[in-house]
Amino acid sequence: MNQNPELTGLVDEFFRETFGPDVITAVELDGPSAALWNATGELGLPLVGIAEENGGSGGTLGELLTVLQGAGQWAVPLPLAETSLAAWLLASCGAQVPAGPMTVIPDASGLRLGGDRLTGGARAVPWLRGASRVVAVVDGCVAAVDPAALDVTPGADLAGLPSDLVTASGVPAETYAADVSADDVLLRGALLRSAQIAGAITGAYEVTRSYIKERVQFGRPIAAFQSVQMHLVELAQAATLTTLCVERAGRAAAIGTASLEIAATKSVANRHAGLAVRAAHQAHGAIGMTREYRLQHLTRRLHTWRGEFGDETSLNLRLGAAVARSGGIIAAATSVASTVGV
Amino acid sequence: MEGNRMRLDPTELTEDEQALREEVRAFLAARLPAGSYPLGLGMGGGVDPQFSLDLGAKGWLGMALPKEYGGGGRSAVDRLVVVEELLAVGAPVGYHWVADRQSGPNIAANGTAEQKRSFLPRIARGELCFAIGMSEPDSGSDLASVRAKATPAGRGWVINGRKIWTTAAYVATHILGLFRTSGDRYGGLTQFIVDPASDGLTVSRIPFIDGTQEFCEVAFEDVFVPDSMRLGAVGAGWGQNTAELALERGGADRWMSLMPVLEHWAANISGRVPGWAQADLGSITARCWAFHGMSLAIARMVDEGLSPAIEAALAKEMATRFEQECIEIVTRHYGRAPQLTSPDPQESLLARAILTGPSWTIRGGTTEILRNIIAKGLTQA
Repeated sequence: MNQNPELTGLVDEFFRETFGPDVITAVELDGPSAALWNATGELGLPLVGIAEENGGSGGTLGELLTVLQGAGQWAVPLPLAETSLAAWLLASCGAQVPAGPMTVIPDASGLRLGGDRLTGGARAVPWLRGASRVVAVVDGCVAAVDPAALDVTPGADLAGLPSDLVTASGVPAETYAADVSADDVLLRGALLRSAQIAGAITGAYEVTRSYIKERVQFGRPIAAFQSVQMHLVELAQAATLTTLCVERAGRAAAIGTASLEIAATKSVANRHAGLAVRAAHQAHGAIGMTREYRLQHLTRRLHTWRGEFGDETSLNLRLGAAVARSGGIIAAATSVASTVGV
Repeated sequence: MEGNRMRLDPTELTEDEQALREEVRAFLAARLPAGSYPLGLGMGGGVDPQFSLDLGAKGWLGMALPKEYGGGGRSAVDRLVVVEELLAVGAPVGYHWVADRQSGPNIAANGTAEQKRSFLPRIARGELCFAIGMSEPDSGSDLASVRAKATPAGRGWVINGRKIWTTAAYVATHILGLFRTSGDRYGGLTQFIVDPASDGLTVSRIPFIDGTQEFCEVAFEDVFVPDSMRLGAVGAGWGQNTAELALERGGADRWMSLMPVLEHWAANISGRVPGWAQADLGSITARCWAFHGMSLAIARMVDEGLSPAIEAALAKEMATRFEQECIEIVTRHYGRAPQLTSPDPQESLLARAILTGPSWTIRGGTTEILRNIIAKGLTQA
């Protein structure tokens, strides 16, 4: 059973109607849109999975994953995962979650706290522009700073979305004693990115399915050719299995650390992202390679997300080390949710 | 399927199911100490009738068959748990495998009360070995073209023709086969349960690529089969056979064939190329975790009364390619070509996997046929 079909339906309908290809392209060209954020915020979607007492919308982790799968499927150009991570970090310290978009520093190992001052640098910070707060785990604390106080070298990820180089020189920070570690951020980020990847693969499957039924060559829709059908099968497999993994990992994460489940899920999601991109483009031919066609919104995001919050090799090394150390493959693969750590 | 999209609902084991896993794991550790049995590759495990009887005595065969016919009255998930543990250690499952996986459920679904009384308790006790009589020399992937013919004769039927690629027919107590009863391509097919000791029936062994002798050809020359051994209605064979194949496809045997080799490799990863091997091991572990979840989700659907045929085809197609990739990975790390004749059972098993691995994406429906089945399900809705 889908845990919340009502939410799934709402998310799908709202994202589909709000984020057409032109809207997505406009954000890429013009930068983050406050109007789009506000429309999404009115539905409470950015803070699903954050308790109401902390300023969130309430709801479960499973519901948050549903929102992010929908956002992935429709290539929603908003920092939903980033805001959710930042809000989760603040809420975990008992801090009140502010309104508006936020972001996190995925790799904060180059930053240091001196008292309440943040110093150092970080790469590939997503969606900093337009964010009200940027949050990171630094020196055992959760630190939140105003992005305006940072030196920013603008950059873009493969999907054309903001991904900046950040330098802090004694920037004032709100700091909170943290129960969460940098690894907790990595795992939570990996789970949320995996949900977006599952959604984007599903989107690529849907776009490809429609296209091959409409596109006529040799006097027939190309869906009639077995060699073209194979690409659709591969997309369906990647979408189905990635989605299943995300939902299982979400259940495990609701009751424990779920490091095995999340690392396995992100590893599988990354792998499937690569396979899905190749299959979807191959089925589309030249049209899929253009900026005018919708597929690129999905495949460029897949390229980006597979490298964030755990790339395949680092996750596989981590899983492999844990299995080689103890237990064996089957003990890990058939373990009950959140009982085996990696 | 939901519309044009496939969906598998996440599910985990209940406490009772976990307890079953622990029980099976402990039993196998005692019953099959390392070195006491020939290591097998998944469903290609050794033929050991006593081991099958022992599993039957534990109640671990025919688990999902109805209790009134001697089955366990348990679930497809319970069966999956037992099978995962058996395949993890390469247990000798060859004698009962087909009966437990597909013939039993087929008879339970389509058999007469008398057939159920006769066969199901013996299947659950591990006494019966079924072989599958589907393929023929001229009918492989195009199974509906089978020509071996059953002609009405007195109180039964007379069968003529040939079946081929029939694993374990030489030791089987029964052959459950698909035979032509009229010219109608699909509607002219009927399933029969044939006694291999029947007059006119000859089993010849076909040396397999690794030198083993499990593969057989079965020739039928005026073989009489009583009508009481017809399974299901005359002409209903195609549908029954398709359902049987679906049972064959979604299970753990499609991703676990190499498990004993993989576990041994994982436990002995040396310092030669540690990072590379470790990353490969991690990738394999991640995918085993994913495929376990998939088999579990499909088994749960079966227990809910659904028939996830497309889902099972999708699972088998990707899982069997994964198994083959695992052979490739372990072989790359092995450092030399392993020998089949090696006294080291692990080396010999890897050699066997290298030789027989290509069959894994052929048996039970080739990759190409499965892709067609899935694509049809995805595009015709």
